[in-house]
Amino acid sequence: MGSHAKAWLVEDESAREMLDRVLTERPFLLLPPLHRVPLRVGNVVELAGPSSSSKTHILIQAAITCILPKLWKGVSYGGLGHSAMFIDLDCRFDVLRFSELLNHRIMEAANGSSSKVGCHQKDSEAQFARMKPYNEELFALCMKRFLYIRCYDSSEFLATLKTLHYRLQKEREVHGVNVHLLLIDRKSWHLQNVSEAVVQEIRRLLLVHPMLVMATKAVVLGNKYSTNELTWNYRKWSAVDNPYSRNITSDQQLPYREYMPAAWQSFVTHRILVRATDDDLVNGEHQNNSIYLLEWLLPPLNSLDKFTVRDTGVFILS
Amino acid sequence: MARLANLETEYPVLDSTVRNFCASHGIFSVEDFLIHDLYMLAAFAEQNDSSERLKEGIAQVLSIIDDMHQPWLNGMELLEDAKRNKHVFPTGIQGIDLLLGDGIRVGQLTELVGPSSSGKTQVCLRTASNVARNHMVLYLDTGNSFSPQRIAYFLGKTISPSSAQAKNQFLQKVMSNISCHSVFDIFAMFDVLHQLESYLRCQDGRGGCQMRLLIVDSISSLISPVLGSSSTLGRALMTSAGYLLKKLAHQHNLAVLIINHTVGGEGGSSKPALGDSWKCIPHSRLFLSCDRGSNTYNVSILRHPSMASGKAARFVI
Repeated sequence: MGSHAKAWLVEDESAREMLDRVLTERPFLLLPPLHRVPLRVGNVVELAGPSSSSKTHILIQAAITCILPKLWKGVSYGGLGHSAMFIDLDCRFDVLRFSELLNHRIMEAANGSSSKVGCHQKDSEAQFARMKPYNEELFALCMKRFLYIRCYDSSEFLATLKTLHYRLQKEREVHGVNVHLLLIDRKSWHLQNVSEAVVQEIRRLLLVHPMLVMATKAVVLGNKYSTNELTWNYRKWSAVDNPYSRNITSDQQLPYREYMPAAWQSFVTHRILVRATDDDLVNGEHQNNSIYLLEWLLPPLNSLDKFTVRDTGVFILS
Repeated sequence: MARLANLETEYPVLDSTVRNFCASHGIFSVEDFLIHDLYMLAAFAEQNDSSERLKEGIAQVLSIIDDMHQPWLNGMELLEDAKRNKHVFPTGIQGIDLLLGDGIRVGQLTELVGPSSSGKTQVCLRTASNVARNHMVLYLDTGNSFSPQRIAYFLGKTISPSSAQAKNQFLQKVMSNISCHSVFDIFAMFDVLHQLESYLRCQDGRGGCQMRLLIVDSISSLISPVLGSSSTLGRALMTSAGYLLKKLAHQHNLAVLIINHTVGGEGGSSKPALGDSWKCIPHSRLFLSCDRGSNTYNVSILRHPSMASGKAARFVI
């Protein structure tokens, strides 16, 4: 009896060892422009914003960072080397733009490393020519790690989620690489039982296949003092009786009307609001890139990040 | 959706034991399976007497569900499909083609928004006449604005001078590539689009003249009558129309051109009709306007997958 009790007290590993283990198995991801809060697998991030506020672009940026390898043939790309899955409920994904961005990132990393070595002009050109077949091979490798599906209605979406487990197992066998990123573009179904089923399926999936889930949501931003606020306050009063809505605490003032059901709201672990400003960044002769503002709602940070979208991806301004 | 009883002939695994078990959990059709928790169901099946059969039944339904969604594609396959099938069609109007970088793209919905007589129908007719030289075009007309004389005029402008007979033959051939349907309400449009879907499913893969352009002139006159009431039916119809058009565009390689009107916005400016829910459905949105008293039109980009919004150009028809 004594020996059993003592066995309970013997430590398995120290806190430092545990931290080491967890950080290697489940590393923190710092994806610009979401770099303020480190994200890990198992987190569910919701990107809200009015239409055309670059939400899909942030998802694509995350996907590219995920599928690029960390180190390949001596060049560091700073990626994760894992697969990413993209569920397109909006059916507006443009694969040509995606491949352009991927190419730009690959070339930027390749050029960056060659300029670090400090070669002369003709040397770097020759090196660039030599790198071209490598770039294409790397490009093909990365594109094969990006999985895409379109869902034209909610039953297709549910069918996809239900069969995702087997699909992920198959991917693991074929590629030997885990899927680390699940991107869902535009969640906008309104049926209560559909959204509960969706949340349940994703929760189950995350138990077996730990992934980072990022979802976008289109919202309508009301003016802070417009009638939207009145209807929101009214909902807060009636929330006490209504079992289907959630008591939003008063310090969590959302600048938009929340329309997702409670099951999804409690599932989300991080919330971000993105919107476009009217300012344009005059960049060169004819490039006018709009500036976007990013605000963390959950965990609430009091800072606003400004970023703009360029050919090579997202560029942080402040 | 298919009731489980009806599936027994095709899949003998789904016999009465499986169906009774499912019915005891409130599952009568494949759709009910989608909403239920299958792991719990499997756990219940485990405790049942005929657990093997039940588990086989559940596995069978899962494979049926697997057919219900689109196939997963990886990035290379997507890119190949885009390069092979998703071409760009020039509209024939120089200003617009330069602005959009070659024209309208197959697989995408392009929306033309503008106040009345801002040239939207003219742009559609011009594009139809351009595309119809080599491909088939379907024109859904809601306001009797389709004009074969105008199309003949556009074709006549671009054809090289030759004998009247050759001209006639050319005209015949191109005009026979355009089919025009009048639809006056949204349900008639759904009818036509579903018929189109079954037609294209048979046609795809066969050689010859394929349909490549679908024009809806105008979608706002079909949707506005059902929108605006307190029920959500109108919005649901609008979203399903949008998704049906996107499905047709992507799976059957069509370029879709839709016309929308404008309504008054805040501050006296005009904004596109159909509201915020429609805003995200088309891939590109172009705003057209006409200079008073002249023949020149202005077009500006409200939204485009690869061009910055706000770019503008002028054109003449």
